[in-house]
Amino acid sequence: MQRLHARYPFLEAARESVASQTVDLATVVEQDQAVVDRAHERVVAALEAGDTGEPHRDTRTELLSYPVARVLVSLVNERILVRKYARAEAEDAFDRFTSDFEDTVELKSASNDGLSLDTLLSEFDLEDAVRAVPNEDGYRIDVGTYLPLSADCWGDEWRLVNRALADGEVPIDERELYVLVQEAVRERVEDGLPFDVPDPIAQALEDEVEEIREILANLELTREIDTVVPDLFPPCMKALLDSIQKGEHLAHHSRFAITAFLTSIGMSTDEIVELYRVNSSFGEEMTRYQTDHIRGDSSPTEYSAPSCATMQSYGDCVNKDDLCERISHPMAYYENRLDDEDEDDLEDWREATGGDGEEETEA
Amino acid sequence: MEERTRAYLRGRFRDYYRRATITPPPAANEREWGYIPWTESPGTTMVRHRSLLELGALEDFLERKRPQHVYFSAGRYTDPGASSMGEKDWRSSDLVFDLDADHLPSVTLGEDSYAEMLAKCKQALFRLLDFLEDDFAFEDLEVVFSGGRGYHVHVRDDGVRHLDREHRREIVDYVRGIGLEYDELIETETVSGLGRKTPTERRTLKIDGGWGRRTHRYFMAFVDELLEMNEEDALARLQEFDGIGEGKATATLNAARNNREGIEAGNVTVHTAISQLAERFAATAVERDNAPIDEPVTTDTNRLIRLPGSLHGGSALAVRRIDRDDLADFDPMVDAVPETFVGHEITVDVDRGGDLELGGESLSIPEGTQTLPEYVAMFLMARGRAEKEKE
Repeated sequence: MQRLHARYPFLEAARESVASQTVDLATVVEQDQAVVDRAHERVVAALEAGDTGEPHRDTRTELLSYPVARVLVSLVNERILVRKYARAEAEDAFDRFTSDFEDTVELKSASNDGLSLDTLLSEFDLEDAVRAVPNEDGYRIDVGTYLPLSADCWGDEWRLVNRALADGEVPIDERELYVLVQEAVRERVEDGLPFDVPDPIAQALEDEVEEIREILANLELTREIDTVVPDLFPPCMKALLDSIQKGEHLAHHSRFAITAFLTSIGMSTDEIVELYRVNSSFGEEMTRYQTDHIRGDSSPTEYSAPSCATMQSYGDCVNKDDLCERISHPMAYYENRLDDEDEDDLEDWREATGGDGEEETEA
Repeated sequence: MEERTRAYLRGRFRDYYRRATITPPPAANEREWGYIPWTESPGTTMVRHRSLLELGALEDFLERKRPQHVYFSAGRYTDPGASSMGEKDWRSSDLVFDLDADHLPSVTLGEDSYAEMLAKCKQALFRLLDFLEDDFAFEDLEVVFSGGRGYHVHVRDDGVRHLDREHRREIVDYVRGIGLEYDELIETETVSGLGRKTPTERRTLKIDGGWGRRTHRYFMAFVDELLEMNEEDALARLQEFDGIGEGKATATLNAARNNREGIEAGNVTVHTAISQLAERFAATAVERDNAPIDEPVTTDTNRLIRLPGSLHGGSALAVRRIDRDDLADFDPMVDAVPETFVGHEITVDVDRGGDLELGGESLSIPEGTQTLPEYVAMFLMARGRAEKEKE
């Protein structure tokens, strides 16, 4: 069982096993450097490679490194790290359980270390919500269970509208079921992170935490865009900007989308007003009010640009190109395009227009 | 609205609430309550963040306050009376759908009468229920006439109450057919055919559920219509589509004639012309089947919804729960007229007259001072189209 728990440390049984074996986490952290090192590696690998690194030969060390890794993630206390770490644990779990399932099929019996699909499904309370379709390879899953698990799955094929929903069930194939279980693992790992760590433990891990912070900083995951190159905007935003500049009336949500987008790429209210001004009937008052509101100056919330899914819902997703197929947020599209360009070739709209922003106004 | 009118409406609302039996929603004490009182100022101020504990027994409260509008939250909370959503501590939420005649593409504002708008809204409601009862197989559904311009459906199945706004948006998009990709409705299978050296792909429309099933339904109806026509008519019918000329029309018709069974099974590889034609019917399905629900109502898990059994202050009609079996026969212009307001006449000064079908009668109401059935007068006053005259 020990080996099974070390392979799948997020299981409820693994947690209980840790709780029953360990004196307390503070002692482990202070006295068992092998565990701390492996925990540190788990987190670093999640950041650098998107997996959790090589498992330690000693199953006890491997098993204990999981709760310590969670402590490290909590101490660093960055949203992006929580996400990346949970994703990495879930991806490794996916590789392990899919290979376990294959072994089970080949050997016709589950070995002690392996995990069966049924066990995994019941671990996440999915045994009633997922049903194998008799005489076929596929499964059916209750729609209320499908929606939260598929929410972060990327691609049109996951959207409910493209699914053969019938009688409250979504048909899925085997691979899709495994992906959804992976999502359940990710949720489990992410759940409760970050948590409060008692001081003695925090002190013992200061060096490891500092190192992770540095790696995180160097990855520039949290970079902010402050470049305005309208030619590189995603097609949806180009189209909206175009409509505004032509003086066409835009629905509230469309206006919101483009304004929030421009705000997110670093434009000030004045600059946005300036960019919209090409047409005289653009309503400066309204734009100022809305921009300040989106920015959070005149309202308690700072709004961000809508995702591709939202843009689609409102019919604002137009002229999709190849890059659109690979991203799920207009901001990601723009970031991608910026990354592909040579930085020296980029001409920021604000510098190009300088004080003569109205040049084309009278055209 | 003049004070005399407002006072009259308030008084009669109290009379209504005195007699009415109001069945609260399940878990009423876990919900937030809100209401809009009759006030002099033109702006409407909602009193909200109230728990049932603060309001007291519902029927007493309604009789005492006789509000213009009453609402309860779709959400259930640990502390529904707390003033911020964070403190309320959200636990779950009914899944609510709102069909509003104002938003229906089939409604022509200013042209359709109130009764016509509501009739079209009911057609959309049946389309919505088709999704909810068939595709989603929801069991705990409550259909409500809103007292205004449409219908609400409250879904309280255990399986969906935990969903957050993003997940609910997927449901909205499904019901409205937003984001539908024909290619995703197709299942591709590699088959090594008889006598073929290279395996080929078989593409099949998923006809067991979802928009694939709906697309298939419309497509088969069309195919069968074609097969019943004579050659000349069928070819002409096919060429009505953009991009289908004589050659493609002939190929399509032949494929339909030779392989109706294959098409029936969803096989769209029988001929490229068939596949291209089927794709057009995905759009047809969305156009005909989608239910134009109001998105924000469904995605907002803290939404306040009108209380069934209460009165709508903008129409003086009752917000009515409708038994599923009675829905076909339900006529809001008759069945939502409160009993209390029937059988009396009062004098009002009508500012904006017009034709009105209410209480089973068609009335042509002129402008000026006149005596009208009370429920008609109440309707006009509540809508701001008439003022109460001194008795």
